[in-house]
Formats: sequence, structure tokens, C-alpha cells
Amino acid sequence: MHEMSLALEIRSICERELAKLPETRITALGVDVGAFSGVEVDTLQFCLEVVMSERFHGVRCEVVREPGVAVCLTCEQEFKVERAPFECPECGVIARGISGGQGLQVSYLEVE
Amino acid sequence: MSAERVNVKEKVLSANDQLAAGTRERLARQGIFSINLISSPGSGKTTLLERTVDLLKDSVRLALVAGDVQTRNDAERLIRHGVPVEAIETGGGCHLDARQVARSLEAFDLAGTDLLIIENVGNLVCPSSFDLGESMKVVLMSVTEGEDKPLKYPAAFRRASALVLTKIDLVPHLQFSTEQALENACSINPDLEVFSTSSYTGEGLESWAGWLTDHVLANKENAEGAGS
Repeated sequence: MHEMSLALEIRSICERELAKLPETRITALGVDVGAFSGVEVDTLQFCLEVVMSERFHGVRCEVVREPGVAVCLTCEQEFKVERAPFECPECGVIARGISGGQGLQVSYLEVE
Repeated sequence: MSAERVNVKEKVLSANDQLAAGTRERLARQGIFSINLISSPGSGKTTLLERTVDLLKDSVRLALVAGDVQTRNDAERLIRHGVPVEAIETGGGCHLDARQVARSLEAFDLAGTDLLIIENVGNLVCPSSFDLGESMKVVLMSVTEGEDKPLKYPAAFRRASALVLTKIDLVPHLQFSTEQALENACSINPDLEVFSTSSYTGEGLESWAGWLTDHVLANKENAEGAGS
């Protein structure tokens, strides 16, 4: 349940951003969750709605899952992956590198 | 008033990551090698540490941080082995974060420390998301957990540099294939350094302690090289 800690961290980021934008009200929030970030999208969505509603009214929380991308260090091919092991479709070797889907970021705020 | 979109693009854990980077730099300056020990509850982290401390304490200056949701039991067990230990009680939190670890370091004489071992909260999911500023993550897996643990919880195995398989003395009593378990772990992370150990019989502990010592010495040399 580290999603709750993450939701609180996301709310702090929103508050810092809003402090730079006086006289505005937040209406929506976008968060990108990488497939390998170790974060459960539905749980984060639920936690975000709870913690955001404590401070703000009627904020739409859009949590978007980003696909995982692996890179084969043998043939340098990049390919989308869902589940380990990440076998390279070209040469069959297990890809050692992950080049996408590890991140977790606040993408945007909508204000009015 | 019409809504306006403001791009933020800020990593959610940027505050944690900045603190972790500060800790990493501080430890590197002192030439301290540090590991973050991650496993499910009951995999044998504390027992492995008790044996590791006994093997290393005459040659390596250790400092230990023990995280638990509640109680200081692990820290109290470790203190009996004669090394400095700081307990972090998370009070419900399922992982340690960089702030807690940075704060706990204040209790140690870092100039007199070679190896810092952080025993994370027993949990194979959440701790792998939080950088604590350690040199490496080490994942533990006991033979009673089943061969497919790495496939079920890939993030912890992917982000670790080493895997310590524990309780191998129990293998004769179980339907557990060590070969299959290691094959699964290596399918997630082919670069894992693997140690098969029993804290009960002592098997494999010399090689684990030797690996730690090698890293401690390499870190010392790097820090001295950078300082001169």
C-alpha cells in the first residue's frame, strides 16, 4: 500500500505548483504510471481521489498507465513488454535493459 | 473561466530521490559501502544479518539500520552482536524512505564506518520503489517461499544486484527446486549475483561475507583515490 504515500506526495506536488499560480483553482490532475514502476493503477486512482478531496473540491484524477519498453543489449532492438522475462523477439536473448515504463510522474494540472 | 492545462512533468518521488542522492554522496565521500536488504516477511533477513555481523565485525566496521512496521525487536536482536544499530519504526508504513534513513544516519559515527546495512520492512513490493541512497539493493528469498517468487514480484529482483537464497538446509524437506528458482530469478535479472545460504548450518555465508568485504575494500579505495 505504498500508493497512499505516493498519493500524498502527488498532492504536495500539486500544492507547490498551485502556490506558483495565485487566484486559480485546480480542476484536474494527470499522473503517468509506468508499467514497471511497481504502482497499481487502480489503487493509486482510489488513493488520489481520497487525498485530493481532503484539500480540493471536484478534482478529476486521470491516472494513465504507460507501457513497459525493454531494450535488447545484444541486437539493440527496442520492444514493448508486459511481463517478465523480456525475451527479445529478434534474437531470443533476455533483454537486460528497460528503457521505458519505470517512471511515475505528475504529468499536468488543469486550473481555472 | 476556461480551464488551462499546466504541464508539470515532475517525478512523484523526486523529493525522496533528492534526499537519497544526498545520502549516496555522503556515504561515497566516507568510502562506505551500503546495501538495502529487501524480502518478504520471514525470509530470514535478521538471522542472516546476525550471522553476517559475527563473521565480519572483527574486520569491517558495521552500522545497521533495521526497519519494522512495529516493535524494535530486530534492532534489539542485532544490538546483542555488538554493533551500532538504529531502529526505524514506520508505524504502519510498508517501506522505508530516504528521509527516515537520512535521519537515522545521524546516530552513527560515519567516519568510523565501512559497511552500512539497511534492513528494509519485510515486504517484497513497496520497498523496491524507494531509493534510500544505498550502493546496491540485495533481495532475499527463502526456499520455503516457492520457486516462482521472482516471477510474482519481479521489480524487487530486477532492481537488486544480488540474490541471497536463504534456509537451504530445509531443501531436503521440501519440494523446492533450487535450479528452477534461480532460473526464474535470472530470467528477470540475468546479472544477479547469487548466494545460496543457510544461517542455520553456515553454508554459503563465507562467500556472501567475502562478497561484502570485496565491495567494502573497493569503496574505500575509490574514496581514497577521489580524496587524494
